[in-house]
Amino acid sequence: MVQSKKQKYLFLAFCLIPTFILFAVFTLYPLFSGLYYSFFDWSGSSQNKEFIGFANYIKLVKDAIIPNTIMHDYFLVVTKVIGIMILALFFAVALTQLKIKEAPFYRIVFFFPNIMSVVVIGILWTFIYNPSLGLVNSGLEFLGLESLAKPWLGDETWALPSLVLPSIWAGIGLFMLMLIGGISNISKSYYEAAEIDGANEWQQFWKVTLPLIWPQIKISILYIVITTLNGSFIIVQVMTGGGPNNATHVMGSYLYQQAFVQYNFGYGATIGVMILILSLLTVLVLQFFMRRDKIEY
Amino acid sequence: MKRSVGQILGRAGIRIPLILWTIAVLYPIFWMFLGSFKSNAEIYRNPWGFPESFSLDNFVTAWTNYNIDTSVFNSLIVTVIGTALTLVLAIPTAYAIERIQFRGSQALFLLYISAMMIPMVLGWIPLFFLLAELNLLDNIYGLAIVYAVSQLPFTIFVLTSFISTIPKSLEESAAMDGMSPYMVLWKIITPLSMSGIITVTIMNAIQFWNEYFMALIFLNTSDNYTLALAIDFISSEAQYTNAWGTLFASLVIAIIPVIVLYAIFQRRIAKGLTEGAIKG
Repeated sequence: MVQSKKQKYLFLAFCLIPTFILFAVFTLYPLFSGLYYSFFDWSGSSQNKEFIGFANYIKLVKDAIIPNTIMHDYFLVVTKVIGIMILALFFAVALTQLKIKEAPFYRIVFFFPNIMSVVVIGILWTFIYNPSLGLVNSGLEFLGLESLAKPWLGDETWALPSLVLPSIWAGIGLFMLMLIGGISNISKSYYEAAEIDGANEWQQFWKVTLPLIWPQIKISILYIVITTLNGSFIIVQVMTGGGPNNATHVMGSYLYQQAFVQYNFGYGATIGVMILILSLLTVLVLQFFMRRDKIEY
Repeated sequence: MKRSVGQILGRAGIRIPLILWTIAVLYPIFWMFLGSFKSNAEIYRNPWGFPESFSLDNFVTAWTNYNIDTSVFNSLIVTVIGTALTLVLAIPTAYAIERIQFRGSQALFLLYISAMMIPMVLGWIPLFFLLAELNLLDNIYGLAIVYAVSQLPFTIFVLTSFISTIPKSLEESAAMDGMSPYMVLWKIITPLSMSGIITVTIMNAIQFWNEYFMALIFLNTSDNYTLALAIDFISSEAQYTNAWGTLFASLVIAIIPVIVLYAIFQRRIAKGLTEGAIKG
């Protein structure tokens, strides 16, 4: 483009600066001052803000609830990765490899929960788990398994596992579509070659499909891990609020309770720093273990 | 021959899990719609079946007694202003990063992109006090700004890849004709990346309409509640009042716009979300 340097920089400034200022004020500044707040004892009013060094971090290490919240988060990560990947992979293969006429219908239906609000999903599933009216207990009664019926979300042992199902229910569609994208890029000739070599469908899946969609599988797993560590607290907040007796608190919901319910803002920020560090570390470690080279035939 | 028999059986068998999952997805949603027509007594008597009659009482109660009218309005404002602001902020930046050579453009792009992976919970505490100082706490316009900025990374990311597909020769010849870069951006780039703009707008709109947690933190008074908050409030009240019918009616009100958008833009939404995830 023919224009003077000055004009170019003016235009650049017009394009970049207003956006960057808002981004800096509403995203970068809060993140960094979150780090800063974690060194203060602070109940919200400016007079009561006291620098206490690493005291919040010492409190964090000694807080008996913290290890549980971390465990709960990783429990959700592991169960969601396994549940979503197995089902999404199964559905993706079924909808691409076996010629099913109504495949687009399944795709549209399975994806829909991905764009539902967590509030709607959470409330819907709270009702499905409802001890007296809920679908789960009614279903168990219908099958003659009354003994298994329980107040799912009110039971300290079962509340956390009960949160996995809604998350899988809501998540599958997106990852199924990502895997379908990978599978439909695989050239048919690989399958023909495998067939000539006498490989059955099961062998074809293990030897052709799976290695060739490894990039999509890797991205899906990373994406599930990141979104769970950064956002699992939303469904927890809607469905159990961290209860019963802290049995479902994850790091984020505990942060919310400490900061915005009990007004320990400094300690809340410390929990936030922990979430940030753990989620970045997890992603790094995962990327290291999954850096299997892309296979090309 | 043996194998083909097995295959035929397999083909039929494969449909069973597909149909079961379809039911698992659709039944709770249908059931929510059915529940919204039932009286509370009927919900207790017959929680999972068809309603005896299709009465709209629950909708009227939710609309008039539970402030759903105000919160629908608030959600609309937040969604419209949020999506518009996101576009105004993201289009020029996406264009500059993609097409104008300047030092640090790659670093700036990386900075925006990496914000997609950072857990924002940590930032919400300082943001709460920042909004309080700016008089934007408990204010739906403040929430709209926060929403817009939160979707900037994703929007810039999608728009840069759309803008990169526009042939450079168009801009060059327009510049030759004496068009200013501002006009190039407005008259050439924006219309030509309309498909990308529509995609991100729909996705941002659904995101803002559905959002719950930031609204929970940044809004306090029920007059400012967005729909997600109002529903959460009705839900926690229903534990005591048992106003389940009203709750279902408000859930239906919240989900209908999403269903309509999905019905119209199903391909776009699915593609936008998968691509956003794959490249991000």
